[in-house]
Amino acid sequence: MQLDLFALLQIPEQYIGMLQRYAAAMILLAILLMVTKWQGIGIGRKLIVGTIRGTIQIILMALILVYIFALSNLIVIFGVLTFMAVFAAYTTKSNLERIPGVMRATLPGILVGALSVMATTVALQIIDWQSSPGEFIIPMGGMLIGNCMGLTTLVIDRMWSNAQKQRPLLETALALGATPKQATELSIRESIRSGLLPNLNRYASLGIVSIPGLMSGMIIGGVNPLEAAIYQVIIFIMIFLSAMIASLITSHLFLREMFNERAQLTVPPPEL
Amino acid sequence: MSDSPILELEKVSMSFDGKQVLRDVSLILHQNETCGITGPSGCGKSTLLRIVNDLLSPISGTVRFQEKDVKEWDPQELRRRVVMVPQEAKMFPGTVRANLVWGLRVHGMAADDEQLKTILQEVQLWPIDLDGNAENLSGGQKQRVAIARALLLKPKVLLLDEPTSALDTESALAVEKTINDLLSDYKMAVLIVTHNKEQAKRFTSKIVELENLTEAS
Ligand SMILES: Nc1ncnc2c1ncn2[C@@H]1O[C@H](COP(=O)(O)OP(=O)(O)OP(=O)(O)O)[C@@H](O)[C@H]1O
Ligand SMILES: [Mg+2]
Repeated sequence: MQLDLFALLQIPEQYIGMLQRYAAAMILLAILLMVTKWQGIGIGRKLIVGTIRGTIQIILMALILVYIFALSNLIVIFGVLTFMAVFAAYTTKSNLERIPGVMRATLPGILVGALSVMATTVALQIIDWQSSPGEFIIPMGGMLIGNCMGLTTLVIDRMWSNAQKQRPLLETALALGATPKQATELSIRESIRSGLLPNLNRYASLGIVSIPGLMSGMIIGGVNPLEAAIYQVIIFIMIFLSAMIASLITSHLFLREMFNERAQLTVPPPEL
Repeated sequence: MSDSPILELEKVSMSFDGKQVLRDVSLILHQNETCGITGPSGCGKSTLLRIVNDLLSPISGTVRFQEKDVKEWDPQELRRRVVMVPQEAKMFPGTVRANLVWGLRVHGMAADDEQLKTILQEVQLWPIDLDGNAENLSGGQKQRVAIARALLLKPKVLLLDEPTSALDTESALAVEKTINDLLSDYKMAVLIVTHNKEQAKRFTSKIVELENLTEAS
């Protein structure tokens, strides 16, 4: 009966299985939504919007990826990465909508963090990108940008909520003449550490628990497994370095949103 | 020029979201002077101290420290000299020693254990394990660490917000005596918020009584 419907709509056979799989995954999404609702986690709307938006984005990306991978001009490739970084920064802003000035802090962080590490890797020939620059630099750069986005989001969220919840502690520090940076040092350090933790876990269990996508893709794509494995270690180091640079820049810039030029805390108390 | 005022508040007013909290508060303080601030809960005593410490800027009026508008001071430099011990003085994560030297450290200064011992004796907190976790101290012990931490900076103006609310009378008297003794050493003035009328009477040379403005506005 279902198949008849597909036939009626004249959907080519090869897509039917695909759509069925997608529909089946929606059952998992429904379960996820129920659990988040039940636990009052309050990210249901974000999950739904994210699914719709993500599906459209990734389909478009899949369609143009062939062309993007074929790119060989480094300037164009880094242009694409810049676009991705801007989009990543925009995403941090929309995920932290209650916090002002997010993008002013995350955009420079993500741009510098991801692109500088990628450029260094390319310049030092740490990866063998010459054969097909697009195929190497775009997905690797994408991973760096994604991780920078994750860590900067977390750092800002922590800095903001710490400033709201620990006002008396911040005030104690400022009242002794601490700079905003000194007063928030500890919470920044903690949030960077806890933001890196999931990746550190993945790093430590590399190859045993986590079989990373990059390596799998390379092996499927015919790269020598040994080479693919080395690349996976390299990409992890690149991820840590870029995320670290991004979060340091972002946290530094975000202090300007939390304190005014008289080093007075401008973060409002938590809303009811 | 020892008779020029160290701290001067001129018609300081403050409001939050249109709700007036302070109206035209004026005050002159010279070195060696202690001034008490009293008034009902919510009348703006803590707000006034924050304004003097430049943690808040008043909507109108001027605060001058050493005859210079606080707005013209570098905020950190000002707060090194005009130190506030907040009402809810918190301990930083770490040891008692780390907490005591916290203020010194942010200004690139240090103190040896001998200096720490001296100041702790003065606030009646000796002996104490300097390497102990500050979070495990009692409320009264924390208050005294907070006062010692501020005194180590040798401030010119010390702002105390209910500094002895968790102390018994004996410890409170000891803290008052220490501060009194240090007044002339440090050439300091003290502004102290207290609910305790007795304390205000015995410890301060003048008293500013704030009133609740909420009904009036
Ligand atoms: N950052 C702020 N934003 C909005 N309102 C504030 C803020 N700080 C203080 N207030 C309000 O200003 C008023 C005075 O507060 P303040 O803490 O100065 O009172 P207080 O005299 O110190 O009271 P207490 O004796 O209970 O410590 C209160 O009504 C308080 O709600
Ligand atoms: Mg108060």
